[in-house]
Amino acid sequence: MKTPTKLRLPKTRPFASLAVAAAAAFAGILTGQAREHVDLQFWDMIWGPAEYIDTGKALVAQFNQEHPDITVTYRSIPWSNWYQTFLTAIGSGTAPDLSTGAGYQAVQLYDQGAILPIDDLISAWQANGKLNDFLPKTVDTLRYDNHYVALPWAIDIRVWYYRKDLLEQAHIQPPSNWQEFKSAAQALTNDKAGQYGFVACGDTLGSQWVYTLMLNNGGGLFTPDRKPDLGSDRNLEALRFLSDLVQSRVVNPASAGYKDDDAVSGFSQGTGALTLFPPGLSGRLPKIADKIGILKPLTGPHGDQGTIFWVNNIMLYKQGKHPAEAKAFLEWWSEHEKDLWTKGHVTQLPVRKSFAADPYFQENAETKFILENYVPVGKTTATHATEIFPKLNEVEGEGVMQTLMQNLLQGKDVSGSVKAASDRVKSIMED
Amino acid sequence: MATEAIRSPKAAAGPASMPIRRKAPIQWLPYLLLLPSLALVGVIEFYPFISGASYSLHKGNLLNTGAFVGLQNYQRLFGSTDFYHSLWFSFLFAFFNVLFSYLIGLALALFLNLDFPGRGLCRVLLLLPWIVPAVVSIVSWKWLIADRGGLVNVLLGDLHLGPIYFLSESGWAMVAVIVIKIWRSFPFMMLSLLAALQVIDKTLYEAARIDGANHWQMFWHITMPHLKNISIVQAILMVIWSINDFETPFLLTQGGPSNATENLILLAYRYTFGRNDVGRGSAVALLTLVVLTVLATFMMRQQRKIA
Repeated sequence: MKTPTKLRLPKTRPFASLAVAAAAAFAGILTGQAREHVDLQFWDMIWGPAEYIDTGKALVAQFNQEHPDITVTYRSIPWSNWYQTFLTAIGSGTAPDLSTGAGYQAVQLYDQGAILPIDDLISAWQANGKLNDFLPKTVDTLRYDNHYVALPWAIDIRVWYYRKDLLEQAHIQPPSNWQEFKSAAQALTNDKAGQYGFVACGDTLGSQWVYTLMLNNGGGLFTPDRKPDLGSDRNLEALRFLSDLVQSRVVNPASAGYKDDDAVSGFSQGTGALTLFPPGLSGRLPKIADKIGILKPLTGPHGDQGTIFWVNNIMLYKQGKHPAEAKAFLEWWSEHEKDLWTKGHVTQLPVRKSFAADPYFQENAETKFILENYVPVGKTTATHATEIFPKLNEVEGEGVMQTLMQNLLQGKDVSGSVKAASDRVKSIMED
Repeated sequence: MATEAIRSPKAAAGPASMPIRRKAPIQWLPYLLLLPSLALVGVIEFYPFISGASYSLHKGNLLNTGAFVGLQNYQRLFGSTDFYHSLWFSFLFAFFNVLFSYLIGLALALFLNLDFPGRGLCRVLLLLPWIVPAVVSIVSWKWLIADRGGLVNVLLGDLHLGPIYFLSESGWAMVAVIVIKIWRSFPFMMLSLLAALQVIDKTLYEAARIDGANHWQMFWHITMPHLKNISIVQAILMVIWSINDFETPFLLTQGGPSNATENLILLAYRYTFGRNDVGRGSAVALLTLVVLTVLATFMMRQQRKIA
């Protein structure tokens, strides 16, 4: 019997491999398990010293390692011309997937159709209790047009600093109300020696003196229905108080032409014993850190307390092609960003209670003091309107409040200056 | 048979007749060679101009062109005190800059036209204000004048004239911005006038001396007539550069205090980037162009009359 001839079959191996791969892919598609690698762009403003950027990059690298299907690219954005940077990116279709930014940037860009709301993320966190970790008022501050337009990550706030050594020399107790504030400044002023109670500035930080004093007096830039209200009684009272300080020659006369760096320099040199600044001034002036103190929030003539603050946030962009992955990164970043303070030395304050309870903050007397005393009285530029709104970015960016502060620092008439500023704010709101 | 020039019947009649002139064929090559440059100029110059003009007729922001509003942006500008102040300051700035940078430039050019040891070094040193980058020079000036600790106020204090807070008072800030611009501009005037002085025929001065003319007469009747044309050209350029100057007021005062030093360009910048109002910002920019065109045309006509 002859052995049957083996059938000569064609070489099936390559075809078999292909068939198996095709079948697997098809099955994967059917089951939804096919995984695509996603690239995300994250733009982060410079929120601290040089180590902040390195810390941000390290955090992103950690996320990428833990999520092999997602690669986030970290890009550090300088504050100079920040607004133009984002607008030109959006206008040219090259916006990032998500970014940090200025306090009202998210609402303004949302109004222009560029921002992706995160209502689903907030709902999920509300359901699982994660939202409870955020300080009161912070999450809802970023609600606009019935949507959550961004996730808060830090608080920027303004506090009154004083030179402990200069007050001690003049035998003055740290002031706690406006009358004591003025008296202290008068006692600290020696015009011939070039020393003054206050050193201010005429730039954006200077304009925040106006906001702080108005809010301290229970005033606010707007009515509840968002009408400009700069000329209200409480606001005028606050601005007259500031004007009175200038007329009393207790404010460094160079202030109108100063930028924030000049004001810090003046405070450091003792040409001004009291000034308004964001948290972290001691870190900025290490050589006189032990001579720097923080006043308790001042009590206004009607018993009010208040200061200006912003809830800085992270926003998602509609141009991003992978919103699910962007939200996943946002969630991860929000839960892991404590390193930005402990290693990156951000000077702003955390919005998360769990972060604020960390020894890094609790053992820092300055930060702990601000968290306990100033954050509870912090108010936004939108006070007394019901929520923040897009025009706030223009009100802050257009220069109207800087001009008002410069007018007051030059001793110009309060009523005329307020009228001019009111007309300008009204014009911005009507545009 | 020799080729003969084609002649008209009149030409054939005799020596007094005229040959037919054939039209020379158009040379396309120069135009073709110019096309790439023209295209580049078109993209860089005309496209932004047309876009800007279009934006000025719309109510838009940096993300959206917005609705067409016709001349509404211009009407709002003409009703705005900010615009008139910017216009006024721009003219003031240009006038004093042109006048004093010219006078200082002329004086230094006359001085450098003399023969003396170290003339070359003097020329280089006097060019420095023009050569040093604007950021460096303006920030340095700021340190000199910003407060009572600055060198200028220290000197004024020694003379019992200070301190003057140059950047903190509107009037003094305007003076400071103009003076610093003059300081940055005079080297250009000096260099151009020096070049013009050096081509004046020296024998004219010798002849004038022989005729008994004094220095002033020689300057007024020989030097100045030779400098007229270059002076007008320089003035036109300096007016344009002054009105277009963004860096000097921006770096020094950001247009403050109280918008005192805000010129037309800074106003356009504030509307566009501070207020997100591209329509009105573009309208300011276009009106600035109109102002410059009118000024330049007027001055060029004066130049033609003098020539």
